[in-house]
Amino acid sequence: MEPIAKKWYDHLAEGKIMATKCKDCGAYTFPPLTVCRECRSRNLEWVEISGEAQLIMFSSTILPAKKFASLAPISYGLVKLKEGPCFFTKIEGVKCSNAEEIRKENESLPAPVRAEIKNVLGMNIVVFRK
Amino acid sequence: MPKRASIIGVGATKFGNVLETPELKNKTFQEILAEAAFEAMDDAGISPDEVDGFIVGNMLSHTSQIYSHSTSLADWLGLRFKGGFHFDTACSTTNTGLGIAWQMVMSGKHKNVLVVAGEFTSSAPKGINPLEREAIDASTLWEWTDFGVDHVYAYHHFYDVASAYGAFPTIGYMKKNNLSFEDMDRAMCAVNQSVRRHSAVNPKAILYEKGTLEDEAKREGFNSVEDYWQSVKNPFFAWPTRLFSALNVADGATAIIVSSEPEKYSRKTPVDIIGFHWTTSNFPWYGEDPTDFPQDKIAFEEAYKMAGIKPEVLDYLYVHDCMQIYQLILPEVAGYIPKGESWKYALNGEFLFNAKKPLNVSGGRHGAGHAFEASAGFETYEIVKQMRGEAEGRQIDPLPRIAAQHNHGYGMHTAVTIFQNGKNKL
Repeated sequence: MEPIAKKWYDHLAEGKIMATKCKDCGAYTFPPLTVCRECRSRNLEWVEISGEAQLIMFSSTILPAKKFASLAPISYGLVKLKEGPCFFTKIEGVKCSNAEEIRKENESLPAPVRAEIKNVLGMNIVVFRK
Repeated sequence: MPKRASIIGVGATKFGNVLETPELKNKTFQEILAEAAFEAMDDAGISPDEVDGFIVGNMLSHTSQIYSHSTSLADWLGLRFKGGFHFDTACSTTNTGLGIAWQMVMSGKHKNVLVVAGEFTSSAPKGINPLEREAIDASTLWEWTDFGVDHVYAYHHFYDVASAYGAFPTIGYMKKNNLSFEDMDRAMCAVNQSVRRHSAVNPKAILYEKGTLEDEAKREGFNSVEDYWQSVKNPFFAWPTRLFSALNVADGATAIIVSSEPEKYSRKTPVDIIGFHWTTSNFPWYGEDPTDFPQDKIAFEEAYKMAGIKPEVLDYLYVHDCMQIYQLILPEVAGYIPKGESWKYALNGEFLFNAKKPLNVSGGRHGAGHAFEASAGFETYEIVKQMRGEAEGRQIDPLPRIAAQHNHGYGMHTAVTIFQNGKNKL
């Protein structure tokens, strides 16, 4: 079995956001795992995703994970990819410095967002921009 | 082969802070587990010699400084030469342990199994000295706790538990039921009032000494609970979830003894384990609807099926309430409350011990406190006390005949167990 997580992060370093598509049931798994998350099949192919998604909701905590504490406030959202899976990550382009801002922004959701690759504290990750 | 697996003894330490709480202060991890285990053995009226198997739960080795738990604990528990092992499903551990014990005694291999667990969440040994502990801050505790979630992808994508496990399910519940933020905030305040009403009459709860939310509002100089709820004392942990809707971490230990021959050992009401089920899922736990964790629905359905019951017969329900929004979401998933109605039940005070649909009457993870792997055991302790009529100050009347207990183990393991009053069966 080839390394999967390293391959996914290596793709990000090359500017590509990948998922796996199940050759049996057609479902996408994002980010890739060893099996299809829907039907458990190992019969998978790697595909580049469109980057298009809907932001379903977001918020921001007063106790961020220790790794990211220096970057607070952080808007953290639930997005649904055009390809189907849901994903959680930082949302760019929304205001989150107080409760009223978060409330107002949430009232206008769902809204389209687009994936971006960002280097955060030495790691390439996927964020979404409204 | 044995025909029943019944709880004959329960024990729990005070939930608090081992650096400060008089009942816990200066005790080691081994000692708090022994305290809970001996209370359970005394409650059951059995000696360690009659316990023939034991299983031990503990999540944070950073704070307990233990790996091989059963060997480290055997002598402290009086269980030298008995078979034991460490098991772990995070915060659902002691609930999961009931199902493991059920299988151990129903196989006929064991007669009496001790399920015991403990957690220190407030401090860690200084260096490697078990007698000298230092406080840990919330950020460090959560960095260790977050090893319980996906570290390949989720954590490094700005993982935020307050949003993913608290705020989003709350927003989802608002949307699903067309509630304004103000309605939702009132309902969450009512849930917390119920939590505090129960912890104020549970001497082992971490917030027992602090009384009700109403008492606290007065002490803080507020004219009403609502004013206090909306004040700077209760900021948004992650909008729309306020700080008081979240857990209070605690140190503590709990123990349960499961037996295949309850009447041989004890005259107290045996509490039969009649159904259980476990499910697991990695992050994300839900799709577009954060109120829908498929694993919870499956766990309740399969546990009911094993028990041969429908949710309509439940007299009591505990749902894991690290975030109190689950006191609204999960009773609906469990079929204990009609869909979309839990918020009204909360506002009407119908979740209180003396009301129509008693829920989480121990005080739960905010009022009783959250000592991770010991916490589910605190809820089983509560169910046993309720079925025996020993829950002074918060006794459900009439005594519950059938109860269900749900726990989430971060993240995310679901354990559901169904209990039956052994002296007043369905």
